[in-house]
Amino acid sequence: MAIIQEISEYLQKGRAKNVKALVEQALSEGVDAKEILNDGLLSGMMIIGEKFKNNEVFVPEVLVAARAMNTGLTVLEPKLAEIGNEPVGRAVIGTVKGDLHDIGKNLVAMMLKGAGFEVCDLGVDVDADTFISKAEETSADLICMSALLTTTMPNMKDVIDELNNRGLRDKYIVMIGGAPINDSFAKQIGADYYTPDAATCAETAKKAVMEKAS
Amino acid sequence: MTNRERVKAVLNGEKPDRLPAVEWASWWDQTVNKWIEQGMPRPEGDDPIQRFYGLDPLRQIWIGPKAADCPAPAHHGAGLMEDEEGYEALKPYLYPEASIESAVQTALAWKEGHERGDYAQWLTLEGFFWFPRTLFGIENHLYSFYDYPELLHQINQDLTEYHLKCLERVLPIYQPEFMTFAEDMSYNLGPMLSKECYDEFMLPYYKQVIPVLKEHGVKVLIDTDGNVEPLIPWFKEAGIEGVLPLERQAGVDVNRIRQNYSEWIMVGGYNKLVMHLGEDAMREEFERILPAMKSGRYVPSVDHQTPPDVTMEQYKIYVKLLKEYGKKAVED
Repeated sequence: MAIIQEISEYLQKGRAKNVKALVEQALSEGVDAKEILNDGLLSGMMIIGEKFKNNEVFVPEVLVAARAMNTGLTVLEPKLAEIGNEPVGRAVIGTVKGDLHDIGKNLVAMMLKGAGFEVCDLGVDVDADTFISKAEETSADLICMSALLTTTMPNMKDVIDELNNRGLRDKYIVMIGGAPINDSFAKQIGADYYTPDAATCAETAKKAVMEKAS
Repeated sequence: MTNRERVKAVLNGEKPDRLPAVEWASWWDQTVNKWIEQGMPRPEGDDPIQRFYGLDPLRQIWIGPKAADCPAPAHHGAGLMEDEEGYEALKPYLYPEASIESAVQTALAWKEGHERGDYAQWLTLEGFFWFPRTLFGIENHLYSFYDYPELLHQINQDLTEYHLKCLERVLPIYQPEFMTFAEDMSYNLGPMLSKECYDEFMLPYYKQVIPVLKEHGVKVLIDTDGNVEPLIPWFKEAGIEGVLPLERQAGVDVNRIRQNYSEWIMVGGYNKLVMHLGEDAMREEFERILPAMKSGRYVPSVDHQTPPDVTMEQYKIYVKLLKEYGKKAVED
Protein backbone atom coordinates (compact mmCIF):
# COMPACT_ATOMS: atom_id res chain seq x y z
CA MET A 1 0.00 0.00 0.00
CA ALA A 2 1.43 3.36 -1.06
CA ILE A 3 0.70 5.22 2.19
CA ILE A 4 2.44 2.53 4.28
CA GLN A 5 5.47 2.78 2.04
CA GLU A 6 5.43 6.56 2.41
CA ILE A 7 5.32 6.28 6.21
CA SER A 8 8.39 4.04 6.11
CA GLU A 9 10.25 6.37 3.75
CA TYR A 10 9.51 9.55 5.68
CA LEU A 11 10.50 7.80 8.89
CA GLN A 12 13.85 6.87 7.38
CA LYS A 13 14.39 10.52 6.51
CA GLY A 14 13.52 11.53 10.07
CA ARG A 15 10.57 13.63 8.96
CA ALA A 16 8.42 13.41 12.10
CA LYS A 17 5.70 15.83 10.99
CA ASN A 18 5.13 13.93 7.73
CA VAL A 19 5.04 10.60 9.57
CA LYS A 20 2.47 11.92 12.04
CA ALA A 21 0.26 13.30 9.27
CA LEU A 22 0.49 10.10 7.23
CA VAL A 23 -0.31 7.84 10.20
CA GLU A 24 -3.35 10.01 10.97
CA GLN A 25 -4.38 9.85 7.33
CA ALA A 26 -3.92 6.08 7.15
CA LEU A 27 -6.04 5.57 10.27
CA SER A 28 -8.77 7.84 8.91
CA GLU A 29 -8.77 5.84 5.69
CA GLY A 30 -9.36 2.69 7.72
CA VAL A 31 -5.94 1.09 7.29
CA ASP A 32 -5.33 -1.60 9.91
CA ALA A 33 -3.30 -0.16 12.84
CA LYS A 34 -1.15 -3.28 13.03
CA GLU A 35 -0.26 -2.91 9.37
CA ILE A 36 0.72 0.73 9.92
CA LEU A 37 2.84 -0.34 12.88
CA ASN A 38 4.56 -3.36 11.36
CA ASP A 39 4.89 -2.46 7.69
CA GLY A 40 5.25 1.30 8.10
CA LEU A 41 6.90 2.33 11.37
CA LEU A 42 8.75 -0.80 12.45
CA SER A 43 9.76 -1.75 8.94
CA GLY A 44 11.19 1.76 8.37
CA MET A 45 13.08 1.57 11.63
CA MET A 46 14.45 -1.87 10.75
CA ILE A 47 15.83 -0.49 7.49
CA ILE A 48 17.51 2.34 9.44
CA GLY A 49 18.93 -0.21 11.89
CA GLU A 50 20.38 -2.28 9.07
CA LYS A 51 21.89 0.81 7.42
CA PHE A 52 23.34 1.88 10.78
CA LYS A 53 24.94 -1.53 11.19
CA ASN A 54 26.48 -1.20 7.75
CA ASN A 55 27.72 2.37 8.37
CA GLU A 56 25.38 3.75 5.70
CA VAL A 57 23.69 6.05 8.21
CA PHE A 58 25.06 7.36 11.52
CA VAL A 59 23.89 8.34 14.98
CA PRO A 60 22.12 11.61 14.01
CA GLU A 61 20.11 9.84 11.30
CA VAL A 62 19.09 7.07 13.74
CA LEU A 63 18.02 9.64 16.31
CA VAL A 64 15.82 11.63 13.95
CA ALA A 65 14.33 8.43 12.48
CA ALA A 66 13.55 7.13 15.97
CA ARG A 67 11.95 10.44 16.85
CA ALA A 68 9.77 10.18 13.76
CA MET A 69 8.83 6.63 14.74
CA ASN A 70 7.88 7.75 18.24
CA THR A 71 5.73 10.55 16.81
CA GLY A 72 3.90 8.00 14.67
CA LEU A 73 3.57 5.61 17.59
CA THR A 74 1.96 8.30 19.75
CA VAL A 75 -0.79 8.65 17.14
CA LEU A 76 -1.14 4.92 16.77
CA GLU A 77 -0.99 3.77 20.39
CA PRO A 78 -4.64 4.43 21.40
CA LYS A 79 -5.78 2.36 18.42
CA LEU A 80 -3.29 -0.41 19.19
CA ALA A 81 -4.48 -0.50 22.81
CA GLU A 82 -8.07 -0.72 21.61
CA ILE A 83 -7.37 -3.82 19.53
CA GLY A 84 -5.15 -5.35 22.25
CA ASN A 85 -1.90 -5.40 20.30
CA GLU A 86 0.86 -7.09 22.30
CA PRO A 87 4.51 -6.02 22.00
CA VAL A 88 7.16 -8.45 20.78
CA GLY A 89 8.51 -8.40 24.32
CA ARG A 90 9.28 -6.13 27.23
CA ALA A 91 12.67 -4.76 28.19
CA VAL A 92 14.17 -2.72 30.98
CA ILE A 93 17.31 -0.87 30.00
CA GLY A 94 19.80 1.36 31.76
CA THR A 95 23.40 2.46 32.14
CA VAL A 96 24.94 0.72 35.15
CA LYS A 97 25.73 2.26 38.51
CA GLY A 98 28.51 4.86 38.49
CA ASP A 99 28.23 5.51 34.76
CA LEU A 100 26.47 8.59 33.37
CA HIS A 101 26.89 7.90 29.65
CA ASP A 102 23.65 7.30 27.86
CA ILE A 103 23.88 7.87 24.14
CA GLY A 104 24.60 4.20 23.37
CA LYS A 105 21.91 3.07 25.78
CA ASN A 106 19.42 5.50 24.18
CA LEU A 107 20.19 4.14 20.73
CA VAL A 108 19.56 0.60 21.92
CA ALA A 109 16.27 1.66 23.54
CA MET A 110 15.21 3.26 20.25
CA MET A 111 16.15 0.19 18.23
CA LEU A 112 14.31 -2.10 20.65
CA LYS A 113 11.20 0.07 20.30
CA GLY A 114 11.72 -0.06 16.56
CA ALA A 115 11.76 -3.85 16.74
CA GLY A 116 8.38 -3.83 18.52
CA PHE A 117 9.47 -4.05 22.17
CA GLU A 118 7.90 -2.16 25.03
CA VAL A 119 10.86 -0.46 26.67
CA CYS A 120 11.24 0.85 30.20
CA ASP A 121 14.26 3.18 30.15
CA LEU A 122 15.74 3.48 33.64
CA GLY A 123 18.27 6.15 32.65
CA VAL A 124 21.84 6.29 33.93
CA ASP A 125 23.61 5.32 37.16
CA VAL A 126 21.17 2.45 37.73
CA ASP A 127 21.82 0.07 40.62
CA ALA A 128 21.10 -3.66 40.73
CA ASP A 129 17.95 -3.34 42.82
CA THR A 130 16.39 -0.84 40.40
CA PHE A 131 17.13 -3.03 37.38
CA ILE A 132 15.57 -6.06 39.05
CA SER A 133 12.60 -4.44 40.74
CA LYS A 134 11.61 -2.62 37.53
CA ALA A 135 12.00 -5.83 35.54
CA GLU A 136 9.67 -7.55 38.00
CA GLU A 137 7.21 -4.66 38.01
CA THR A 138 6.97 -4.44 34.20
CA SER A 139 7.01 -8.21 33.57
CA ALA A 140 10.09 -7.73 31.43
CA ASP A 141 11.65 -10.42 29.30
CA LEU A 142 14.95 -8.62 28.94
CA ILE A 143 17.34 -6.77 31.19
CA CYS A 144 19.69 -4.65 29.05
CA MET A 145 22.74 -3.00 30.61
CA SER A 146 25.15 -0.49 29.15
CA ALA A 147 28.55 0.80 30.33
CA LEU A 148 31.07 3.08 28.70
CA LEU A 149 33.76 3.00 31.34
CA THR A 150 36.13 0.18 32.17
CA THR A 151 35.69 1.20 35.80
CA THR A 152 31.90 0.68 35.73
CA MET A 153 31.62 -2.42 33.59
CA PRO A 154 32.16 -4.71 36.63
CA ASN A 155 28.87 -3.32 38.01
CA MET A 156 27.07 -5.37 35.35
CA LYS A 157 28.10 -8.46 37.24
CA ASP A 158 26.53 -7.08 40.43
CA VAL A 159 23.14 -7.11 38.69
CA ILE A 160 23.61 -10.70 37.55
CA ASP A 161 24.82 -11.76 41.01
CA GLU A 162 21.78 -10.12 42.57
CA LEU A 163 19.48 -11.92 40.11
CA ASN A 164 21.12 -15.18 41.21
CA ASN A 165 20.77 -14.25 44.89
CA ARG A 166 17.06 -13.63 44.41
CA GLY A 167 16.58 -16.85 42.40
CA LEU A 168 15.47 -14.84 39.36
CA ARG A 169 18.35 -15.37 36.94
CA ASP A 170 16.55 -17.80 34.63
CA LYS A 171 13.52 -15.55 34.39
CA TYR A 172 15.34 -12.89 32.35
CA ILE A 173 17.42 -12.65 29.22
CA VAL A 174 20.39 -10.47 30.19
CA MET A 175 22.04 -8.45 27.42
CA ILE A 176 25.03 -6.16 27.79
CA GLY A 177 26.84 -3.67 25.58
CA GLY A 178 29.05 -0.58 25.48
CA ALA A 179 32.46 0.44 24.18
CA PRO A 180 34.63 -1.57 26.60
CA ILE A 181 32.42 -4.70 26.53
CA ASN A 182 33.08 -7.82 24.49
CA ASP A 183 31.81 -11.34 24.18
CA SER A 184 34.33 -12.85 26.56
CA PHE A 185 33.40 -10.34 29.26
CA ALA A 186 29.73 -11.26 28.77
CA LYS A 187 30.57 -14.95 29.23
CA GLN A 188 32.80 -14.18 32.20
CA ILE A 189 30.04 -12.40 34.13
CA GLY A 190 27.26 -14.75 33.05
CA ALA A 191 25.29 -12.47 30.72
CA ASP A 192 23.30 -14.15 27.96
CA TYR A 193 24.33 -11.89 25.10
CA TYR A 194 26.79 -9.18 24.15
CA THR A 195 26.02 -7.28 20.96
CA PRO A 196 28.37 -4.77 19.36
CA ASP A 197 25.77 -2.27 18.15
CA ALA A 198 22.21 -1.15 18.73
CA ALA A 199 20.72 -2.72 15.61
CA THR A 200 22.27 -6.12 16.34
CA CYS A 201 21.00 -5.85 19.91
CA ALA A 202 17.41 -5.41 18.70
CA GLU A 203 17.70 -8.35 16.27
CA THR A 204 19.26 -10.58 18.89
CA ALA A 205 16.68 -9.57 21.49
CA LYS A 206 13.85 -10.49 19.15
CA LYS A 207 15.34 -13.90 18.39
CA ALA A 208 16.12 -14.57 22.05
CA VAL A 209 12.58 -13.76 23.18
CA MET A 210 11.10 -15.94 20.45
CA GLU A 211 13.42 -18.82 21.32
CA LYS A 212 12.60 -18.56 25.00
CA ALA A 213 8.87 -18.58 24.25
CA SER A 214 9.05 -21.65 21.99
CA MET B 1 69.14 16.23 20.55
CA THR B 2 66.89 18.33 22.79
CA ASN B 3 63.38 17.22 23.71
CA ARG B 4 61.99 19.73 21.27
CA GLU B 5 64.29 18.69 18.41
CA ARG B 6 63.43 15.03 19.02
CA VAL B 7 59.67 15.59 18.75
CA LYS B 8 60.12 17.82 15.71
CA ALA B 9 62.30 15.21 13.99
CA VAL B 10 59.76 12.44 14.48
CA LEU B 11 56.84 14.56 13.28
CA ASN B 12 58.84 15.50 10.16
CA GLY B 13 59.71 11.89 9.41
CA GLU B 14 63.39 12.44 10.21
CA LYS B 15 65.47 10.05 12.28
CA PRO B 16 65.93 11.12 15.93
CA ASP B 17 68.57 9.78 18.36
CA ARG B 18 65.72 7.99 20.12
CA LEU B 19 61.95 8.34 20.12
CA PRO B 20 60.48 10.87 22.56
CA ALA B 21 59.30 9.34 25.83
CA VAL B 22 56.22 11.49 26.33
CA GLU B 23 52.69 11.14 27.59
CA TRP B 24 50.26 13.26 25.58
CA ALA B 25 47.37 12.89 28.04
CA SER B 26 47.36 14.43 31.46
CA TRP B 27 46.97 11.87 34.21
CA TRP B 28 43.62 10.75 35.54
CA ASP B 29 43.05 12.14 39.06
CA GLN B 30 42.08 8.69 40.35
CA THR B 31 45.36 7.27 39.01
CA VAL B 32 47.41 10.10 40.50
CA ASN B 33 45.72 9.69 43.90
CA LYS B 34 46.54 5.97 43.93
CA TRP B 35 50.15 6.67 42.98
CA ILE B 36 50.42 9.19 45.82
CA GLU B 37 49.14 6.49 48.20
CA GLN B 38 51.81 4.20 46.76
CA GLY B 39 54.62 6.66 47.43
CA MET B 40 54.74 9.15 44.56
CA PRO B 41 55.33 12.69 45.87
CA ARG B 42 52.32 14.98 45.61
CA PRO B 43 52.67 16.75 42.20
CA GLU B 44 54.10 20.26 42.57
CA GLY B 45 55.92 22.64 40.23
CA ASP B 46 56.50 22.20 36.50
CA ASP B 47 56.09 18.78 34.88
CA PRO B 48 56.09 16.98 38.27
CA ILE B 49 54.89 13.56 37.10
CA GLN B 50 57.24 13.60 34.13
CA ARG B 51 60.15 14.41 36.47
CA PHE B 52 59.19 11.64 38.89
CA TYR B 53 59.00 8.95 36.21
CA GLY B 54 61.75 10.32 33.97
CA LEU B 55 59.50 11.13 31.03
CA ASP B 56 60.30 13.90 28.54
CA PRO B 57 58.17 16.98 29.20
CA LEU B 58 55.55 17.90 26.62
CA ARG B 59 53.60 21.04 27.45
CA GLN B 60 50.14 21.94 26.24
CA ILE B 61 48.26 25.21 25.86
CA TRP B 62 44.50 24.74 25.47
CA ILE B 63 42.59 27.83 24.34
CA GLY B 64 39.01 27.41 25.54
CA PRO B 65 36.29 29.46 23.81
CA LYS B 66 34.20 29.73 26.99
CA ALA B 67 34.79 32.37 29.67
CA ALA B 68 35.60 31.29 33.22
CA ASP B 69 32.17 32.46 34.39
CA CYS B 70 30.26 30.68 31.60
CA PRO B 71 27.36 28.67 33.06
CA ALA B 72 28.19 24.99 33.58
CA PRO B 73 25.99 22.16 32.30
CA ALA B 74 23.60 20.65 34.86
CA HIS B 75 25.30 17.27 34.48
CA HIS B 76 27.72 15.47 32.18
CA GLY B 77 26.43 15.64 28.63
CA ALA B 78 23.78 18.27 29.30
CA GLY B 79 23.57 21.38 27.14
CA LEU B 80 23.81 25.10 27.83
CA MET B 81 21.33 26.21 25.16
CA GLU B 82 18.67 24.85 22.86
CA ASP B 83 18.25 27.20 19.93
CA GLU B 84 19.20 30.54 18.32
CA GLU B 85 17.79 32.52 21.23
CA GLY B 86 19.78 30.44 23.70
CA TYR B 87 22.95 30.94 21.68
CA GLU B 88 22.50 34.70 21.67
CA ALA B 89 21.95 34.67 25.44
CA LEU B 90 25.10 32.60 25.94
CA LYS B 91 27.30 34.64 23.62
CA PRO B 92 28.53 37.12 26.27
CA TYR B 93 30.25 34.11 27.88
CA LEU B 94 31.77 32.81 24.65
CA TYR B 95 34.89 33.65 22.65
CA PRO B 96 36.60 35.52 25.53
CA GLU B 97 39.59 37.79 25.10
CA ALA B 98 40.79 36.57 28.50
CA SER B 99 41.52 33.05 27.16
CA ILE B 100 43.64 34.51 24.36
CA GLU B 101 45.50 36.75 26.80
CA SER B 102 46.10 33.82 29.14
CA ALA B 103 47.48 31.73 26.23
CA VAL B 104 49.75 34.62 25.24
CA GLN B 105 51.08 34.95 28.81
CA THR B 106 51.72 31.19 29.08
CA ALA B 107 53.46 31.15 25.70
CA LEU B 108 55.68 34.02 26.84
CA ALA B 109 56.47 32.32 30.15
CA TRP B 110 57.41 29.07 28.39
CA LYS B 111 59.22 30.72 25.48
CA GLU B 112 62.75 30.55 26.85
CA GLY B 113 62.60 26.88 27.85
CA HIS B 114 60.91 26.02 24.58
CA GLU B 115 63.57 27.81 22.53
CA ARG B 116 66.27 26.10 24.57
CA GLY B 117 64.59 22.80 23.69
CA ASP B 118 63.80 21.73 27.26
CA TYR B 119 60.32 20.70 26.22
CA ALA B 120 58.17 20.31 23.15
CA GLN B 121 54.86 22.13 23.04
CA TRP B 122 51.42 21.52 21.60
CA LEU B 123 48.38 23.69 21.24
CA THR B 124 44.77 22.57 21.42
CA LEU B 125 41.78 24.31 19.89
CA GLU B 126 38.23 23.07 20.46
CA GLY B 127 36.93 21.66 17.21
CA PHE B 128 33.83 22.00 15.08
CA PHE B 129 32.18 18.85 16.47
CA TRP B 130 33.39 19.24 20.07
CA PHE B 131 32.50 22.87 20.74
CA PRO B 132 28.88 22.85 19.45
CA ARG B 133 28.40 19.63 21.46
CA THR B 134 29.40 21.43 24.65
CA LEU B 135 26.77 24.08 23.86
CA PHE B 136 23.89 21.86 22.74
CA GLY B 137 24.68 18.86 24.97
CA ILE B 138 25.58 15.45 23.59
CA GLU B 139 22.19 14.28 22.32
CA ASN B 140 20.76 17.60 21.14
CA HIS B 141 23.98 18.26 19.25
CA LEU B 142 23.37 15.10 17.24
CA TYR B 143 19.82 16.29 16.48
CA SER B 144 21.11 19.76 15.59
CA PHE B 145 22.49 18.59 12.23
CA TYR B 146 18.83 18.23 11.20
CA ASP B 147 17.02 20.59 13.57
CA TYR B 148 19.31 23.64 13.60
CA PRO B 149 21.63 23.48 10.57
CA GLU B 150 21.88 27.26 10.19
CA LEU B 151 22.69 27.73 13.86
CA LEU B 152 25.34 25.02 13.67
CA HIS B 153 26.95 26.85 10.76
CA GLN B 154 26.77 30.12 12.68
CA ILE B 155 28.45 28.61 15.75
CA ASN B 156 31.24 27.08 13.68
CA GLN B 157 31.83 30.31 11.76
CA ASP B 158 31.99 32.27 15.04
CA LEU B 159 34.39 29.66 16.41
CA THR B 160 36.53 29.87 13.27
CA GLU B 161 36.84 33.61 13.64
CA TYR B 162 37.81 33.19 17.29
CA HIS B 163 40.45 30.60 16.41
CA LEU B 164 41.91 32.89 13.74
CA LYS B 165 42.05 35.73 16.27
CA CYS B 166 43.81 33.45 18.79
CA LEU B 167 46.35 32.27 16.23
CA GLU B 168 47.08 35.80 15.10
CA ARG B 169 48.12 36.63 18.68
CA VAL B 170 49.77 33.39 19.72
CA LEU B 171 51.68 32.10 16.68
CA PRO B 172 54.05 35.09 16.38
CA ILE B 173 55.16 34.36 19.97
CA TYR B 174 55.63 30.61 19.73
CA GLN B 175 55.20 27.86 17.19
CA PRO B 176 54.15 24.63 18.88
CA GLU B 177 55.52 21.42 17.39
CA PHE B 178 51.97 20.27 16.76
CA MET B 179 48.40 21.20 17.53
CA THR B 180 45.22 19.23 17.93
CA PHE B 181 41.62 19.98 17.22
CA ALA B 182 39.77 18.42 20.16
CA GLU B 183 36.86 16.64 18.52
CA ASP B 184 35.96 13.16 19.88
CA MET B 185 33.78 12.59 16.84
CA SER B 186 34.31 8.84 16.60
CA TYR B 187 33.44 5.92 18.87
CA ASN B 188 34.15 2.21 18.93
CA LEU B 189 32.14 1.62 15.73
CA GLY B 190 33.62 4.48 13.71
CA PRO B 191 32.39 8.01 12.95
CA MET B 192 29.54 9.56 14.94
CA LEU B 193 28.36 11.43 11.87
CA SER B 194 28.09 10.87 8.13
CA LYS B 195 30.63 12.10 5.59
CA GLU B 196 27.88 14.37 4.23
CA CYS B 197 27.42 16.04 7.63
CA TYR B 198 31.21 16.30 8.05
CA ASP B 199 31.56 17.89 4.60
CA GLU B 200 28.82 20.38 5.28
CA PHE B 201 29.34 21.33 8.92
CA MET B 202 33.05 20.81 9.63
CA LEU B 203 35.22 20.73 6.53
CA PRO B 204 34.65 24.37 5.45
CA TYR B 205 35.81 25.59 8.86
CA TYR B 206 38.93 23.42 9.00
CA LYS B 207 39.81 24.83 5.60
CA GLN B 208 39.81 28.36 7.01
CA VAL B 209 42.00 27.60 10.06
CA ILE B 210 44.44 24.92 8.93
CA PRO B 211 46.35 26.96 6.31
CA VAL B 212 47.21 29.56 8.99
CA LEU B 213 48.66 26.86 11.25
CA LYS B 214 50.66 25.35 8.41
CA GLU B 215 52.07 28.73 7.40
CA HIS B 216 53.72 28.78 10.85
CA GLY B 217 55.10 25.26 10.51
CA VAL B 218 52.67 23.72 13.00
CA LYS B 219 51.73 20.09 12.38
CA VAL B 220 47.96 19.73 12.45
CA LEU B 221 46.52 16.74 14.28
CA ILE B 222 43.06 15.76 15.44
CA ASP B 223 42.14 14.31 18.82
CA THR B 224 39.32 11.82 18.41
CA ASP B 225 38.84 8.65 20.44
CA GLY B 226 37.45 5.35 19.25
CA ASN B 227 37.85 3.77 15.84
CA VAL B 228 39.33 6.60 13.82
CA GLU B 229 40.65 4.58 10.88
CA PRO B 230 37.63 5.09 8.57
CA LEU B 231 37.91 8.87 9.08
CA ILE B 232 41.53 9.32 8.05
CA PRO B 233 40.66 10.05 4.38
CA TRP B 234 38.12 12.65 5.54
CA PHE B 235 40.76 14.37 7.66
CA LYS B 236 43.39 14.30 4.92
CA GLU B 237 40.97 16.15 2.68
CA ALA B 238 40.91 18.98 5.26
CA GLY B 239 44.71 19.13 5.44
CA ILE B 240 44.94 17.37 8.80
CA GLU B 241 48.19 15.44 9.08
CA GLY B 242 47.75 13.07 12.01
CA VAL B 243 45.68 11.79 14.91
CA LEU B 244 45.72 10.80 18.55
CA PRO B 245 45.05 8.74 20.71
CA LEU B 246 44.53 5.64 18.47
CA GLU B 247 42.65 3.45 20.92
CA ARG B 248 43.49 -0.23 20.63
CA GLN B 249 40.32 -1.17 22.48
CA ALA B 250 38.34 0.23 19.54
CA GLY B 251 40.34 -1.97 17.15
CA VAL B 252 42.74 0.72 15.92
CA ASP B 253 46.01 -0.71 14.62
CA VAL B 254 48.97 1.64 14.18
CA ASN B 255 50.75 -0.84 11.90
CA ARG B 256 47.75 -1.07 9.57
CA ILE B 257 47.44 2.73 9.49
CA ARG B 258 51.12 2.97 8.56
CA GLN B 259 50.64 0.45 5.73
CA ASN B 260 47.72 2.46 4.38
CA TYR B 261 49.04 5.99 5.00
CA SER B 262 52.83 6.21 4.88
CA GLU B 263 53.09 9.85 6.01
CA TRP B 264 50.25 9.98 8.53
CA ILE B 265 51.39 11.25 11.96
CA MET B 266 50.36 9.12 14.93
CA VAL B 267 50.52 9.80 18.66
CA GLY B 268 49.31 7.20 21.19
CA GLY B 269 48.38 3.68 20.11
CA TYR B 270 49.75 1.78 23.14
CA ASN B 271 47.00 -0.33 24.67
CA LYS B 272 46.39 1.05 28.17
CA LEU B 273 44.50 -2.09 29.14
CA VAL B 274 47.63 -4.28 29.21
CA MET B 275 49.53 -2.08 31.63
CA HIS B 276 48.10 -3.63 34.80
CA LEU B 277 49.03 -7.12 33.57
CA GLY B 278 52.75 -6.68 34.21
CA GLU B 279 56.04 -6.51 32.32
CA ASP B 280 55.56 -9.46 29.95
CA ALA B 281 52.24 -8.13 28.70
CA MET B 282 53.64 -4.60 28.38
CA ARG B 283 56.66 -5.89 26.46
CA GLU B 284 54.41 -7.87 24.13
CA GLU B 285 52.42 -4.71 23.42
CA PHE B 286 55.63 -2.80 22.58
CA GLU B 287 56.63 -5.65 20.24
CA ARG B 288 53.25 -5.29 18.53
CA ILE B 289 53.70 -1.57 17.82
CA LEU B 290 57.45 -1.73 17.10
CA PRO B 291 57.04 -1.84 13.29
CA ALA B 292 55.07 1.43 13.40
CA MET B 293 57.63 2.93 15.80
CA LYS B 294 60.37 2.09 13.32
CA SER B 295 58.42 3.56 10.41
CA GLY B 296 58.72 7.18 11.65
CA ARG B 297 56.18 9.93 12.20
CA TYR B 298 54.90 8.00 15.23
CA VAL B 299 55.19 9.04 18.86
CA PRO B 300 54.19 5.97 20.91
CA SER B 301 52.21 6.81 24.01
CA VAL B 302 49.37 5.41 26.10
CA ASP B 303 46.19 5.33 23.99
CA HIS B 304 44.38 7.57 26.49
CA GLN B 305 44.75 8.33 30.17
CA THR B 306 46.47 5.62 32.21
CA PRO B 307 43.76 3.78 34.16
CA PRO B 308 43.72 3.72 37.97
CA ASP B 309 44.37 -0.03 38.09
CA VAL B 310 47.96 0.60 36.91
CA THR B 311 50.23 0.80 39.96
CA MET B 312 53.14 3.19 40.34
CA GLU B 313 55.58 0.27 39.99
CA GLN B 314 53.83 -0.92 36.82
CA TYR B 315 53.97 2.58 35.36
CA LYS B 316 57.70 2.71 36.11
CA ILE B 317 58.08 -0.51 34.10
CA TYR B 318 56.04 1.02 31.28
CA VAL B 319 58.37 4.06 31.16
CA LYS B 320 61.45 1.82 31.25
CA LEU B 321 60.11 -0.17 28.28
CA LEU B 322 59.01 2.99 26.44
CA LYS B 323 62.62 4.18 26.57
CA GLU B 324 64.06 0.76 25.69
CA TYR B 325 61.82 0.40 22.63
CA GLY B 326 62.27 4.09 21.80
CA LYS B 327 65.98 3.32 21.24
CA LYS B 328 65.30 0.01 19.49
CA ALA B 329 63.02 1.82 17.02
CA VAL B 330 65.89 3.94 15.65
CA GLU B 331 68.53 1.19 15.51
CA ASP B 332 69.56 0.17 12.01
